[in-house]
Amino acid sequence: MKSISVMVVSLVLGLTILAALGDDGIQGSKHNFSKQEWSGGDACAACHGTETEPPKAAPLWDANADLNRTFGVSLARTKQAGLGSTMCLRCHDGTIARDTVAAANQKSRFSNQDHPGLFGAGHGTSEHPVGVEYPRVDEDFRPAAIVISEGAVTLPGGKVECISCHDPHAMSGQPYMLVKSNAKSALCLTCHQK
Amino acid sequence: MTNRNSESRIRNDESRTIPMDRGIFRHSPFAIRHSGFAILHSSLALVVLIATGYVLADDSVVNSKHDLSAQGPGPVRAVHENEICIFCHTPHNAAPQVPLWNRANPRTHYRIYESSTTDARIDQPSGPSKMCLSCHDGSMALGNVLSRPATHPIVMTARTIPPGTTDLTNDLSDDHPIGFRYDRSLSNADRQIRAPEVVTMELPLGAHGEMHCTTCHDPHNNELGEFLRQSDQRGAICISCHDLNGWPSGSHANSGKHITGRTVDVGERLKYDTVKDNACLNCHKIHGAQARERLLRAQREEDNCLNCHGGAVANFNIASVIGKRSAHDVRFRRGIHDPAENPFTMRRHVECFDCHNPHAVAADPIGRVGGTFGQTVKGPNLHVSGVTLSGGQTDNAAFLYEICFKCHGDGITRSRLGDARQVTQTNTRLEFQPSNPSFHPVAAPRRNNDVVSLMPPLRVGSMITCTDCHNNDDARALGGTGPNGPHGSLFEPLLARNYETDDFTVESANAYALCYGCHIRDSILGDESFPLHRRHIVDLRAPCGVCHDAHGVSRGQGNSVNHSSLINFDLSVVSPADSPSGRRIEYVDTGRLAGNCTLTCHGLTHIGFPYTGRGAGAKSVLSGVRR
Repeated sequence: MKSISVMVVSLVLGLTILAALGDDGIQGSKHNFSKQEWSGGDACAACHGTETEPPKAAPLWDANADLNRTFGVSLARTKQAGLGSTMCLRCHDGTIARDTVAAANQKSRFSNQDHPGLFGAGHGTSEHPVGVEYPRVDEDFRPAAIVISEGAVTLPGGKVECISCHDPHAMSGQPYMLVKSNAKSALCLTCHQK
Repeated sequence: MTNRNSESRIRNDESRTIPMDRGIFRHSPFAIRHSGFAILHSSLALVVLIATGYVLADDSVVNSKHDLSAQGPGPVRAVHENEICIFCHTPHNAAPQVPLWNRANPRTHYRIYESSTTDARIDQPSGPSKMCLSCHDGSMALGNVLSRPATHPIVMTARTIPPGTTDLTNDLSDDHPIGFRYDRSLSNADRQIRAPEVVTMELPLGAHGEMHCTTCHDPHNNELGEFLRQSDQRGAICISCHDLNGWPSGSHANSGKHITGRTVDVGERLKYDTVKDNACLNCHKIHGAQARERLLRAQREEDNCLNCHGGAVANFNIASVIGKRSAHDVRFRRGIHDPAENPFTMRRHVECFDCHNPHAVAADPIGRVGGTFGQTVKGPNLHVSGVTLSGGQTDNAAFLYEICFKCHGDGITRSRLGDARQVTQTNTRLEFQPSNPSFHPVAAPRRNNDVVSLMPPLRVGSMITCTDCHNNDDARALGGTGPNGPHGSLFEPLLARNYETDDFTVESANAYALCYGCHIRDSILGDESFPLHRRHIVDLRAPCGVCHDAHGVSRGQGNSVNHSSLINFDLSVVSPADSPSGRRIEYVDTGRLAGNCTLTCHGLTHIGFPYTGRGAGAKSVLSGVRR
């Protein structure tokens, strides 16, 4: 029985890795930095570190990352975003990018300087909030349990983070590395009861 | 619009037949797609669930008119784009206004709503309203969203919102006002606006308490049709803010009469079937009203009323009586009446609204003209402005005559064509003053005890109303079949019954039917009061009006000696006589049922000619008349 479980787990892991290396995975995505000089040809190292730069925090995170950095003026209703957002913002806030990634692609650069009021929920905001608690009882939102049970959108720590909607590994093959297709605004309507 | 709403109602009905938790099922297609099973019957179930899921989603933007995606239900939709939220929202790089707005604001300068009766300070629309107007003013392309390059907008079946009821254009003066602060100062200034704190939370105001499109409309929820937040049936959404005097008990809020006609403006059927269900919508159009000020459906004031009161819906056909020989013909003038008008300076006109408040009108169950019944205003005239007996203005006339005084009193509007009498007064307010030497008891009980001719239940001390004498000649209160009230009559000046004023009229019950309605003919002709009535009226064929002034003799002009008993001689018949004290026309009251006259009439000269009556059964002494 145990061996069957191991086999199943191995199979799943193997398929996942295969998928990750396929066109729908990170290899075919813009997150494949293996051709960048600084990456040393390693598609994973840009984010997950190397053996010489051991991980500092889960999941196998780059030791150089300053995870306690404060982003912007009011990141997500005064609450600091979780790992699921800070990992992304490390590059995508345009201020601490490891290289000039964000500058080269203005659209994926979410700098507080470029967008005043960035990440602040409330008046004047121009970005979907991250690091916010998912509403518990609100007729405008579907119940968190149902959202999670559908398997696409995740709510790490009960919060909305970048990775709630975006999969940095681009496993779904959707544009913008969305976790699921947004046809008929399905991704938006996963949470928003509109 | 009506068609759309009936569709919406039908969809509602369908949805009610399937008891499912819409909140869970409406997104079921997405959940089920991940199940991975693909056997036939589950696929069928999937299709059914998708289908029902969307049918059920009346309270969702999905499949509503605001679903502009390529799968959207309306004729206006994207050609390829299948996202729904994108037309208004984007998660990143949104316009700097909540909620993650994906459109630029229109730069349109709008013509805004104006009204002489509003206390609100109405500004150009702002905030959420501008967001709505970014499509609904028709100026901006529907597919122009911030998340797409301006050079590559979303391709739509229509570039901008097509002309029609939903295209508000840059003229918002025919739409319910937005962009004003709904605060205590407004509700304090206008007592017919509820205090903002008691307005339901279902109708949210803006960040600074201002009214927006989104106060009434929820762009994501079309469950009630027209994306309304509350139903407009029985005016529910309107009366959440508007606290109209007399509305709850008024006929227009409670009449179950079926609307058989069509709207007066565009000829559509009204949204609901009965008067009470249509409520405000009977007369008002919230967007695109033909009469901009006060958002009335019809440009001509009276058309809003006659649409139903012209024989189509209401019991009585007012249109049939306002064309009579003597009438308050409301069709005659247009665009003059203003609810804020000053009765002393307004231009001459008459509209339905001068005497009736359509918010408060109610049936008069007694419906009888006259006598002791008619003192205070009844249902049809509730909550109408007026001028009081002392000449002050009131927003809420307590007595019917106060409504009449608006036009027939001090103002420049009254008729100046008074009869040629000893004392001429065309200001009816002055004619009916209780301090006058004599007056018909409209504003106060009569002080004269000599009136022995009154028909019970009238008695000395009874009061009457203007409408006892001025009324439709076929008013049902008079035994006819037409509507009550001074709308129109065969008899001038708008008299309830015939009243001859020509000299040498042959006396008959009909000739002076107006007078005989209250004053018993047999008593008059039996000389029970003035002992020479029969002599004058029957024998010499002098009409009542030769000696009597029907309204009254005003205090400043007449005195109680010469003008008691409404004596005010008609100078076209009566001429002066040479008396020892000079050439004069004079009546002198010398006590109860007694007096003397100095005048010339029908060639007969009276010089201090005396009479004494002895009440009922009395006979006069015919002496001293000089032929």
